[in-house]
Amino acid sequence: MDKKKCLELIKLEVLGCLNETDTESLKIMKEKNDDFPWKELSDYQNLVALIPSALEMKYPASELKDKTAMKLYNIRDEIKAKIDAKKALEIPSLPVEEQLESEEKFVIEEKVEVEEKIFAEAEEGFHINTDEPLTPGKDESFRIVSNFKEKNESKNLTSETHGNTDVSVSKTAPEKDVIEKITRDYINTHMESEIDLLNQGIKKNKILSFIFFLITLILIGALYFIK
Amino acid sequence: MAESNSLTDAEIMLKIAGYDSKALEQLYDRYAPFLYTLIKKIVIDKETSEEILSDVFVIIWRQIDQFDFKTNNIYTWLVTLARNKAIDVLNRRGGKMLPDYNDEYEKEHIIPKLSKEVETLELDEVLNRKEKMEKALSSLTDAQRYVLELSYYGGMDQEEIANKLKIPTVTVKSKLQVAIGNLMQKLSEAK
Repeated sequence: MDKKKCLELIKLEVLGCLNETDTESLKIMKEKNDDFPWKELSDYQNLVALIPSALEMKYPASELKDKTAMKLYNIRDEIKAKIDAKKALEIPSLPVEEQLESEEKFVIEEKVEVEEKIFAEAEEGFHINTDEPLTPGKDESFRIVSNFKEKNESKNLTSETHGNTDVSVSKTAPEKDVIEKITRDYINTHMESEIDLLNQGIKKNKILSFIFFLITLILIGALYFIK
Repeated sequence: MAESNSLTDAEIMLKIAGYDSKALEQLYDRYAPFLYTLIKKIVIDKETSEEILSDVFVIIWRQIDQFDFKTNNIYTWLVTLARNKAIDVLNRRGGKMLPDYNDEYEKEHIIPKLSKEVETLELDEVLNRKEKMEKALSSLTDAQRYVLELSYYGGMDQEEIANKLKIPTVTVKSKLQVAIGNLMQKLSEAK
């Protein structure tokens, strides 16, 4: 390999100044030559990265941090999918027995937390759907993204929990059933009295409507007889 | 926050790889002014610069798995990433024919591919060498400095510079190579 030619191309590459032919030549040199000057490439990459250090520092608007946090929040589904894929790759690497043991431990210690997190998520979801702007406070710009991460973890915990406690349900799609079960439990414990009150109100209204209906009938009958 | 302030760039990047958004915020606090300065020098317009800076952090978050933790040269990776993104916006805005911007394009042309043998740089260390870089740049001839700026901040390739200056491409190539060679020499001498 012609090292001089190689260095010339490196100098142009680090400046992003290579034409197509030279780009291709340098690519081949990198792939095919064991003695490619990687150290020199690294030195020149660092050198050009140092060039902006001579500029006078300028500062972006402070609101930009919030704007960035919003952009990150908007790609939460994509990141969630990446985290899921990462976890899916990690889980099979554990031996089966070890995996089961660790899941069991998880279930006992974390179940209560999981339920709390799911309801926190539900409440937050409701908050997001309102007309209130999602702009975070000054020092908490990226917190909405953190919340997303916690939510995501709680969902994963849910599926792991379910896989061990309810044997009759398939481990492949446990999340929906668990959430329904937890929702039912929550309704039973937290909202039963409110539902009773609501039902009583409905009953009262029905009786009143019936009484008014009877009175109207009687009045119509009375008018008929008077005529 | 005090704890995260003491983290090194490498520790922050590791946390980002685990999708720790606080670590990304820490990286933003540390690097945003520096990257913004570079981006603004390239695209000039304040709003576009802010938009690009914001996009750079989205790219870091989305493409963190593209970062090479073996070389771990965070400073150079971030600066090159920000420059690539700003130059791309500049070229598209200038009507340059480029492929559609998608994930594949981003991985190929925006995400930096650094050498596998690398000496890592830290931002603090770079800022301490500001004066040396200023001196090294000012030691170049006007012509060398000009072609270097057209290339680095203007995103122009050899042919574009040659057309602009109405000189042969070979001359541009040679001027760029001499300029960057001299810069390297001056900085080495200043160490």
